[in-house]
Amino acid sequence: MNEVREKQSNYRPLSSKKALQKTMGRYYALTNYHRYWGKIFRRPLAWVTSGAPVELLRAFNIHSAYPEQYAAIYSARNATVALCEVSEAAGYSQDLCSYARSNIGGVLRPDLAPLGGMPKPNLLVACNNICGTVLKWYEVLARHFKVPLLVLDTPFLPHEFTAQAKAYVLEQLISMANDLEKITGCPFDEKKLAAEMKRSREITSLWIETRQYCQNSPSPLNAPDLFINMAPIVVLRGSKAGIEYYRKLRDEVKQRAALAQGAIEDERIRLVWDNIAIWPQLFSFYKMFSEKGACFITDTYSGGWAVEHAPGTPMESLAATYTEIFLNRSPKYRANQLIKLIEDYKANGFVMHSNRSCKPYSLVQEVIRKEVMRETGVPGLMIEADMADPRAYAEEPVRNRVQAFLETFL
Amino acid sequence: MSDNNGQINSSNALELLLEEASLKGTYRMKRYPGKKFFGYFCSYFPEELIIAAGFEPLRLLPDSENSTPAELPGYCCSLAKGTLDMEIRKQYYDLIGIGFTHTCDTMQCLSGVWSACGQTKTVDIVPPVMLNAPGAFSYYLAETKNLMMTLSSLTQTAIKESSILEAIKLCAHTRSLVTEIDNLRSILPSPLVFSILRAGQLMPRVEYVKALEECLPDLKEMSSKNLHQVKILVSSAVLESDSLFAMIEELGGRVVADDTCTGYRHYSGNTVWGSVNPLTDIVQRYSEMPPCPCKNRSLNERIHHLTTLAKHRNAQGAIIIIRKFCEPHAWDAVSLAESLREKGIRTLTLELEGASVGGQERTRLQAFLEGLLESPDL
Ligand code: SF4
Ligand code: SF4
Repeated sequence: MNEVREKQSNYRPLSSKKALQKTMGRYYALTNYHRYWGKIFRRPLAWVTSGAPVELLRAFNIHSAYPEQYAAIYSARNATVALCEVSEAAGYSQDLCSYARSNIGGVLRPDLAPLGGMPKPNLLVACNNICGTVLKWYEVLARHFKVPLLVLDTPFLPHEFTAQAKAYVLEQLISMANDLEKITGCPFDEKKLAAEMKRSREITSLWIETRQYCQNSPSPLNAPDLFINMAPIVVLRGSKAGIEYYRKLRDEVKQRAALAQGAIEDERIRLVWDNIAIWPQLFSFYKMFSEKGACFITDTYSGGWAVEHAPGTPMESLAATYTEIFLNRSPKYRANQLIKLIEDYKANGFVMHSNRSCKPYSLVQEVIRKEVMRETGVPGLMIEADMADPRAYAEEPVRNRVQAFLETFL
Repeated sequence: MSDNNGQINSSNALELLLEEASLKGTYRMKRYPGKKFFGYFCSYFPEELIIAAGFEPLRLLPDSENSTPAELPGYCCSLAKGTLDMEIRKQYYDLIGIGFTHTCDTMQCLSGVWSACGQTKTVDIVPPVMLNAPGAFSYYLAETKNLMMTLSSLTQTAIKESSILEAIKLCAHTRSLVTEIDNLRSILPSPLVFSILRAGQLMPRVEYVKALEECLPDLKEMSSKNLHQVKILVSSAVLESDSLFAMIEELGGRVVADDTCTGYRHYSGNTVWGSVNPLTDIVQRYSEMPPCPCKNRSLNERIHHLTTLAKHRNAQGAIIIIRKFCEPHAWDAVSLAESLREKGIRTLTLELEGASVGGQERTRLQAFLEGLLESPDL
């Protein structure tokens, strides 16, 4: 995600960008050369979904790679269409999630994928807290690679996290630890898990703190900053490298806030973003806003990683933290979350990306939009696009809608 | 149907079933004024509990495949859009409630959207996705118990254990009658069987069973076997009309195996009873029935089940339907087609907006069936 070139004129670049590139560059190099060191250090490679309980895998010394993260890079490097066409030719419908399609395209044709595609996994770990798609996608991968697929089934929460759901997730986590013992040959060490969780909590607090500075006016960060800087919290959660990076970023953002330096010039309109970034248009899309003085001061997507861990034993905390994520909850819950963001960040409006690829994120947006507008009195705009597949992006209509929306703030 | 002449009884019964299948529950209040209907979407919603609560289960099917309710984006399946539109048009105001089962992402979202913009009471059950995962059974049991309480609260009367037992038996009897019909597929016209099975999800249960019992002997006699028909397996999500089955038949095919949500998959699997807690039996049935693409019992169980079924029924071809924007079925379609082809079963994947087939599908189906008819293996 840090691969995207910054094309904005009135954009204030972060000096921690170099550190980000270094941190992520090291991670990708390590991941892509896994075949050379994985066996030697007895560290299997797992492909994992973005909502998988990675702390447990780290406690077993497993190195994790994220197909969703790679798919975002494929998109930023304009490779998504070619890769999606490969999977579509193999029979996968164009209506399926474009992360999944481009990932499968990269598996079938690594030569077309940036970074040479992903290194082959030794195991697959999916958690359906973000969507049902990941289960189907990882089933396809498990059949292709013929490697074990471990699934954590986190029941959708129409209301609260019930006692039966807690017990179910916990039992699966215990069984997952048993499976990982067999796969890695390492015994499960609860202390190691606790240490991983502690580091993970630290990274999360740094990310929360960094984001909170955006409550200042002008906001020190804009949406593209948030999207680019979320990469380490996804892939390096629980790592020292991740903590070091977020300390740097936090310090810089804190300083910006103290000096009242905004991410964009003349911040006039404060907006909240809902849904995954539009990766192929990352800068051109948000530029339409920034040139009119509109800044996205916070968002629900990268904010998904800014949630404190739940209390309890390490396993209990994992169970609750990973089941209670916002995508696994009702529209009511999500509307309240957006209302709170609008209040806390003193936003003047919000923009929802109706993302064709991601049904659980998008299908409920219209009822949320209405409720949030009713409760807060601020306007909300809906834009239809796709997070990765540029074929679903119609420039002209989007531009017109954005312009009309921004005019309401005049 | 009170006529003493068995022949007339039987044809009246069949007529009733076909009528109910085509009405899709729309005249329920006129036809069954004393009954209270409870709507549901998915075969994983335990109909035994709806019946035990004193309601009639009514599967909600869209009356149009082109509805565009403002609350859902265009890239959503027409089952969700069509039924939500009906709710907004107040087509369900008489229902006691509507049951949502967490199956796919769309259903999960539809439940929330419905409760935000509809008037009918919604009731959720979230079964495990990984049906064989450790802890899945106890979790499912607790969810089912909660569902029972919620249904009881709708009538302000506790559901009696004896009512659950009776409902389990009624459902078991329904399933065994339907299985008898499913076994007659090779001698019965495909759209007829499909209609009869759909009717069972749209009309009061006791009346359905009675009608089935009455027409079953005649159906057994009603052979329409044509040796030159191509034997086909159909796999799909919900199909609210017989359009596809009628076209297959018209073009020289016969559906000998039906893996559709509104077809035999709804009734398939064993009914168990006799446990101390009848809810355990219900959970066991739903955990063990042949899975749909939204559930996982093991990596390849569904594919294995369908390739075995196709072989067992001597299917020569398979037609996989993807309802536009239906992700779970679209995902499975690829691996399923591959496995069927490996077993020598030619496969055609068709994408449909809803349930009806038109000129474009006719051309593809015709070419597919003709290819099979001319195949030397036939
Ligand atoms: S983009 Fe949406 S559908 Fe795709 S993997 Fe992520 S959560 Fe699932
Ligand atoms: S399984 Fe498919 S057809 Fe059924 S509700 Fe889900 S998306 Fe729609």
